[in-house]
Parts: sequence; C-alpha cells; structure tokens
Amino acid sequence: MELNASGEMASGDVNPDHIVPVTNFSADTLWSIIAHMDVSTGFEHFVYREAELDAIWSITGFYLVNEPDSNQSEQVRRLHAGAHKAHDLVADCRPAEAAMVLRTFL
Amino acid sequence: MLSIEENELLTQTDPGTPAGQYFRRFWLPALLPSEVPTPDSPPVRVKLLNEDLIAFRDTNGQVGILDEACPHRRASLFWGRNEDCGLRCVYHGWKFDVNGLCVDMPNEPQEYRFENKVRTLAYPTREYGGLVWVYMGPPGLQPELPKLEWARVPDDHRYISKRLQETNYLQAIEGGIDSSHSNFLHASLDAFRMADSYVEKVKNSNNLRAKYHLLDKAPWFTVKKTDYGLVIAVRRKAEEDRYYWRLTQFLVPSHTMIPYQAGHSIHGHCWVPRDDQTCWVWTTSWNPDAPLSQEDRDTIRDETFVHARVDPVTFKPVRNKENNYMVDRENQRTSTMTGIHGFASQDQAIQESMSPIVDRTRERLGTSDTAIIAMRRLLLQEIRGLEQANEPFAAQHGDVYWVRSASLLLKRDVEFDDGARELMKAEV
Repeated sequence: MELNASGEMASGDVNPDHIVPVTNFSADTLWSIIAHMDVSTGFEHFVYREAELDAIWSITGFYLVNEPDSNQSEQVRRLHAGAHKAHDLVADCRPAEAAMVLRTFL
Repeated sequence: MLSIEENELLTQTDPGTPAGQYFRRFWLPALLPSEVPTPDSPPVRVKLLNEDLIAFRDTNGQVGILDEACPHRRASLFWGRNEDCGLRCVYHGWKFDVNGLCVDMPNEPQEYRFENKVRTLAYPTREYGGLVWVYMGPPGLQPELPKLEWARVPDDHRYISKRLQETNYLQAIEGGIDSSHSNFLHASLDAFRMADSYVEKVKNSNNLRAKYHLLDKAPWFTVKKTDYGLVIAVRRKAEEDRYYWRLTQFLVPSHTMIPYQAGHSIHGHCWVPRDDQTCWVWTTSWNPDAPLSQEDRDTIRDETFVHARVDPVTFKPVRNKENNYMVDRENQRTSTMTGIHGFASQDQAIQESMSPIVDRTRERLGTSDTAIIAMRRLLLQEIRGLEQANEPFAAQHGDVYWVRSASLLLKRDVEFDDGARELMKAEV
C-alpha cells in the first residue's frame, strides 16, 4: 500500500468495489478501510465496508478473549467498540461519519 | 453482525410485523397440488407466516385457503366436510366457499339465518409452476406472479420437493447464498484434504467448481443490487487469462438459485416462513430444454443433492434432529466431512444446530460473508421502505424474475455482468 505525504492512501490504490483484505487491525488496514470508505457511494460499496468492519470487530473481539492480560487490551477494546459504531453508521449509509470514527484510532 | 432490533425486524413475520407485511406483498408457495389432489378431497392444514390456515380443493377443482378456525365457535375446519363447492364445519354445519363466503348456516332457524353476511378469512390462490401459490396481503395490491423459469417449464422438465425446517427462514436463506460453505460442509474428506487421488481426478474433469477450487482457495466476492434482489458473484483464478465465475441470485422475498453449469439441470430454493421458528423449504430442479434425465431423477431419489425424503403428511425430513440426521460417524471418520447423507440434510443439520433464530449480535463475520450481509441489508431496506409506503418493486413486476444462475469462464478483463448477460437470461 502506498501512502502519500500526509499519510493517506494514494488514490490509485482505492477502488470502492474491492473488499479490503482484513487479516489484522493494524493502522495500515484501518487506513485502507478509511480510504475505501471515503470513496464509497452506493449500496454495494456500503456492504463491502460493512463486511470489512465486521471482520475488524470479529478479530478484535477474538483478541480480547484470547489475550485478556495484554497491555493493548484497553486500546483494542476501544477499537472493538469503534468498529461496531462505524459498522452501524456505514450500514445506515453514513460512510463519512463511519470514517471519522475510524480516524480516531490512527 | 446485526443489532437485536434488526434481527427481530428481519425474523418476525406475524401479520402485524414489518417483515410480515413485506412477505404479504408477494405470491408465496403454499402447498403441492398433490396435497389436495382431487375435487372434494380432504382439507389439509397449511401454516404460513404464523397463520393457521386450511386448504381444500372444491367440487370445481378450485383451491381455497381459509382461516383454520371456523368464525362461529373457532372449531378447526381441518375436520370439515369438503362437499358441493364448499367446506362445511362439522361442529354446527356452517359452510364456506373458496372465497370465504358462508353459503350455508343450517343450525339457525330459516328466518334468522345470516349466512350471506358472514365471511371467513380467505386468501386468493393460483396454481402455477407445479405449486399452489397464495397471496396473503391487502386485496388492492395483489402482485404479479413471479416469472420464474422453473415455474414455466413443462411439468416433466421440473421436480419440486417440500420439507419442513425447524429454523427461522432467514438463516435458511443465508445458507442458500453462502457459497463458501460448500467446500467444507458438503465436501468429501478427500476433497477437503486435497488428497492426491482427488486432485488427479478433478484436474481434468468437467466439474468446474471442484477444478477451480484447487487453483484458487481465496475467491473474490462481489454483489450487485438488481430489480429482483441481488446477484452474488464469486470469482476464482482459472487458467492463463481467465477467471472462473459462479453467479447466484437472491430474489425477493426469499428465492435463491444455485450456480448452474451448462449441460446440467438447474436448482433453486424458496424459503417461506411457517412461523418465526420454522420454515418451508421448497426445492426445485429443472431443465429448460428437455425432460429431467434418468440421472437427474436418480439423484433426486438417492437424496444425494438438494432434495431430501420427507414424511408425506408432515413434510418433516426422514433424517431429522430427533435421529441426529442418521449421522454415520464411521463415514465421517473415513469419507465425508459430516457423515450425513445428502446436501439437503447436511444443510438442515447445521442450520438447525444454530438454534431456531440465530442470535446475530454474537456472530463473528468476515469478508467471505459479504453475500449474507448484502442480503440482510437489502431486505432491511425493502422492509423499512414498505414501512414508509414504498411498495416492493419486484412484487408488481413479475418479469424481473426471468433470470438464471450461472457458472462460467470469462477473460480477466471482462466484467461478470457483461460476460454472463446472455447466460443469465432464462430461456424457456
């Protein structure tokens, strides 16, 4: 993934018709979802973003169960809740607000 | 994931609920014509959308569907006499025609009879495509029958089965459009383990699904909203410059089609809520070009694929949760993923194991669940739209159902909806 000078994703990499692979909840993954969120406009796009946020919510949820004593727990717990909130916003066709929620975790 | 409110909105189909209103905007499969085989044959119980109903075929051959309870004292019309163009309650003799009009009230003195003023709840029916369909919505909004390909082929080109599933309709639909489960739930052990002998067997076979699953285990999912619902496309890398596409339709309110490979018969389902905890699974297999082959009929009889043997009265599958779907643990140890015979029973076992109504606040979805997410969002949009007085488009436009599933190879620079446009048109 290429980032531009302000740390945002290069627009050439962003196609809202593509689902971002979510294998972790790193900053890169969140950036990629946000970048796709920013150019999402229709039903299908919102479905893909919801699927990505479902995946973030799932893996953060598993992390919290499996690593209860991690020193990242509080941060992951907030991301888990934030992913839930962003999920519901994008499901409500409000991608800009969903992206704003995710940006607070970067 | 869904919120509790969204899960309830989607899964509750009583008359007063938003999803119940939505389903009541469509013609729904109600029963097999063979359940009421001849004029004046015995009435049968039909439960749909949490309403207890009675179906009967009158003397003229017309099928009526009435409230099961007689409006007089609420006795069941299941015990009724089907005679001379009406169904007579055996408790006090009130008799109703297929339109619900009371045509006889013999227990009242002649001068006090008010039969012409009494009506019971009756729903319009149509016999179409090898089924009896019912419309349970507002009379002024009666929709068009869906122009489904399987409903328009000659009778000997089609086979339809009905079975009872002890889950809410929604998780049954989810199973129908979840293409990633078939490589696990329905797989042989050799296929799951990619045994050398299996790989050798499918590498050069005409089973495209199995062949391209070998080449690409991480398919790319996409969905497209359409006039009838959704087309769900799953893409795998194939040889050189091609992709292998599998296209599944979800057609509102609850029809699905299994990706079709040219030269084979086509299969689909319709999942109709019986109540919130159970649904009717209608499974269709059809060949638009020719009568079903002996091979097709053998597959149906052997229950290896989408049809399952059922009790002829209750339509409960012979393999059911009371007998653990006749699981064969030795077969599971040595041969198949489940040890349960037939795709239909495998699906039913897994879906019923999820509890009658899945708690979708507790699930953990990934990006391979995109089709399920899309179907839920589409239904939620439609149901909420109807709450805002936006009538469902597809209900009034039966032509939009004139589509077919597909599986095909396309050049990598061709979009699936362009490349498959002709193939996805029904052809009867």
